[in-house]
Amino acid sequence: MASSHGNSHSEAAKMEQIITEFYAKSLHIILESRTPYMSSRNYSGEQALSSPSSSSSSSSSVRPRDKWFNLALRECPAALENLDLWRQSHLEPLVVDVILVQRPLDCEPVKCSPKRDLVRNLSLKERYPYCCNYEQEEFGCEAKSEKIIERWVVQYDSRKIRDTNSGSRRLSSNTLHSLYKKSMLLLRSLYVTVRLLPAYKVYRDLNSSGQIRPFALTHRVASFAEPFTCREEAAMQRFGFTPVDTACGRLCLSVLYCSSLSDVSSESSTPMSPQLIPDYVGSPLTDPLKRFPSLPVTGSVAHAFPPSSSFSRRHSWSFDHYRASPPSVSFSPSPTYSEPHALISNQSSRFPPTIMPPHPPETSLVYKKDTSFDEYSPAFSPSPSSASPSLPIFIPGSHHSKPLLQSESAPFSERTAKLANSPAFCNKLNLPLRGIGSGSSKTDKTGGFMEAGTAVEKFSSLGKDDARQYSEVKISSSSSSRSFPDDLDDSDFPCPFDVDDEDVTDPGSRPESFGKNVPLCEPHVPGGLFPIKKSQDAAVGALVRMLRKAPPLRQDNSNSVKFCPEIWGNSSQEPNQPFKGQASVQRDDSSSVISSGLITSKTTTVALEELQSYREMKNLLLGQGNFLLNFGSPSMDSQPLN
Amino acid sequence: MNCEVCQLKELEVEHFEIREVLRCILHTIVFHRALGLVRPKDVDLELFEITYVQCGDMELEKKIDEKIEQFISWVEKHPNKKSQICLSFFEVKNKQAKWFTPKTERLQWEQWYINLNVAQHPKAHSGKSHNSKVVIDPGESALEERMARRAVLEASLHEVLFQIIKFVNEKKDHVPPIPNLEGVVWFPHEITIPSSSDSAFGMDMIKRMLQTGHPTMLS
Repeated sequence: MASSHGNSHSEAAKMEQIITEFYAKSLHIILESRTPYMSSRNYSGEQALSSPSSSSSSSSSVRPRDKWFNLALRECPAALENLDLWRQSHLEPLVVDVILVQRPLDCEPVKCSPKRDLVRNLSLKERYPYCCNYEQEEFGCEAKSEKIIERWVVQYDSRKIRDTNSGSRRLSSNTLHSLYKKSMLLLRSLYVTVRLLPAYKVYRDLNSSGQIRPFALTHRVASFAEPFTCREEAAMQRFGFTPVDTACGRLCLSVLYCSSLSDVSSESSTPMSPQLIPDYVGSPLTDPLKRFPSLPVTGSVAHAFPPSSSFSRRHSWSFDHYRASPPSVSFSPSPTYSEPHALISNQSSRFPPTIMPPHPPETSLVYKKDTSFDEYSPAFSPSPSSASPSLPIFIPGSHHSKPLLQSESAPFSERTAKLANSPAFCNKLNLPLRGIGSGSSKTDKTGGFMEAGTAVEKFSSLGKDDARQYSEVKISSSSSSRSFPDDLDDSDFPCPFDVDDEDVTDPGSRPESFGKNVPLCEPHVPGGLFPIKKSQDAAVGALVRMLRKAPPLRQDNSNSVKFCPEIWGNSSQEPNQPFKGQASVQRDDSSSVISSGLITSKTTTVALEELQSYREMKNLLLGQGNFLLNFGSPSMDSQPLN
Repeated sequence: MNCEVCQLKELEVEHFEIREVLRCILHTIVFHRALGLVRPKDVDLELFEITYVQCGDMELEKKIDEKIEQFISWVEKHPNKKSQICLSFFEVKNKQAKWFTPKTERLQWEQWYINLNVAQHPKAHSGKSHNSKVVIDPGESALEERMARRAVLEASLHEVLFQIIKFVNEKKDHVPPIPNLEGVVWFPHEITIPSSSDSAFGMDMIKRMLQTGHPTMLS
């Protein structure tokens, strides 16, 4: 690279440039393999795999930056950012801390490993507070534990005294060549080393799939190093690359690294085990999950929704012991009615209108009913026997429902209030709180909470007090001769997943479209899955039943109507706009149904069925799009029957 | 010119592990000696939790794979032998043409010796007991054993990779200037595997060493 100009001044400048570029390249190499964003690694892999084409194409598109040290790296925005900053502080040491951010696993939606569940069972109450802490911290951006797992130091030691004189004299193109060659070698070994250190596994885990990990990698670039404590330092190993001597100094590169990240890796490995996680999280709602990693970045409530809903669902049905509580939450049709209303009214009174839509209660009721209904009517469940966990759950739930509901309702309102009040809430919520996040702005969420499995989980994340209450609820329910949880664990749990998978794929549009249409859709999703999975005959039967039993909808229509427009207006960004209209229509129905149910004081069973049927309708409509319009009107017509 | 020699730590491998282990080591070395424009490619080993780096060149990959296949077939013919693979880098110099001698000569400046001890028994074991008596218990214990052994090998391989890195770091002066030719990515090199007869292999190596001067340093 160095031309033989012989001009010592230019040679010195070149040397300086080499050094500068060495810094830049080092930073790039380090951050490139430590900052998971998108699936950069996969991307590179693909690129590399198709090397013939890619290499050719790449060679044609060699960027100037790539030519430095003949090492073409893929784009790494993080490196570029930091580099710009660093360039201003010329030839200062470059300290790159790679930081492992760990979140408490239990709070993670993905935390599905059986082990964890066991733990959760054992210390349920304790766990809840923990989760709550986590959430709060998350909201407050404090909670996570950070640990520096690698510290890279790039620095140039200049021999000040004699080098200014002799250095310039000794500088020659030869030494420049040698410097360049050696730094090239050094960078190559850096490139290899970075991939051999333990932190790379963390990075790889984070990048390898769309799954959410209870940890993350971040980095800090500075020109100085915060000293480690003795203890920290003792836990780290040092690897020093052989310095490259220059005419007037030397380039040093070293790394302090944690030799064992076993805690992280073991944690991560457990959840990652192919059997558990894929079933649990990945399969049913693949798309939402994939979106997940991006969620924190976007931080938008709307985005948070779809995945969260999916998560909640999974939790409730499969692994989570929480779900014991879900039934309790959701089950009772009749009691729910009155009480939720009361709750809602309370809430609404507390909250400013913008935050709390007037008719949140209805929606919540509807949801509850739907879920419960699923359990309720054997016709819907594909596998009547034991396959559907829902059956056992809800039926018992209905019996116990009153006391449980009451307890729930109170916490619920509190929770929502908290949520709505906490500004951070929306941002942080995305994963764990899915429903809540939307709920913060709209009462609808409350409805979502009421739903069986989801509700419980969400609650757990919400607040300590609430969580405790829920746990209590759950316990009580379980104590009340609920065989449900066990069943789920044993055989049932895989089943729902399978069903879910189908559902997800089929309605396909649903998760995405609804996910974004924040409030309304979200609640629907969980309930919707069940109806969809059921056989078409069952669905038809349900429709017929629904038509027959359709309650009058008028009374609350006004409220419901108000409600819907707001929600949908928010979601106007969504591509699924056609759905909005439909959804709103349905919403009206459901809300009206609920209200009517209250007024008419139907029996629990009837109410449940009705709700269920409407739910089902809604789902069908949503899934099929145009289908909606046809059904929507008939259902309305048939309402008078009851 | 100095010819630096690096003797890599011996690895105990099973037959089916040879390919991955060799790929990992050979590519890592070559990557360090590829001073032309390189677009590195990360490769995850399947058997081990190790990621190594390739130059991302298909031809090179093919060449290395061919040599590995040759080596594997040699191992099959010579079971229970420690074996050595040599990766050597050289410069090509023109010299005066004489009768019966090539016009160019190779000046080796670096040699890497990869030492493998291929364990044969596991393979025989799996071959026989597998079919005849696929007993569950022995299978399990064998599995555990295998896992443990695998972990050891992984650690050793890791060590070898760091050995390479350290060597590259410590020994830089002997590396020839970067080839200026466009498109030349790495230094000319050669992979030598034991040929069908050991003696020939040994002779070959000796001859080559005499040709190119002797290694000044053993690391």
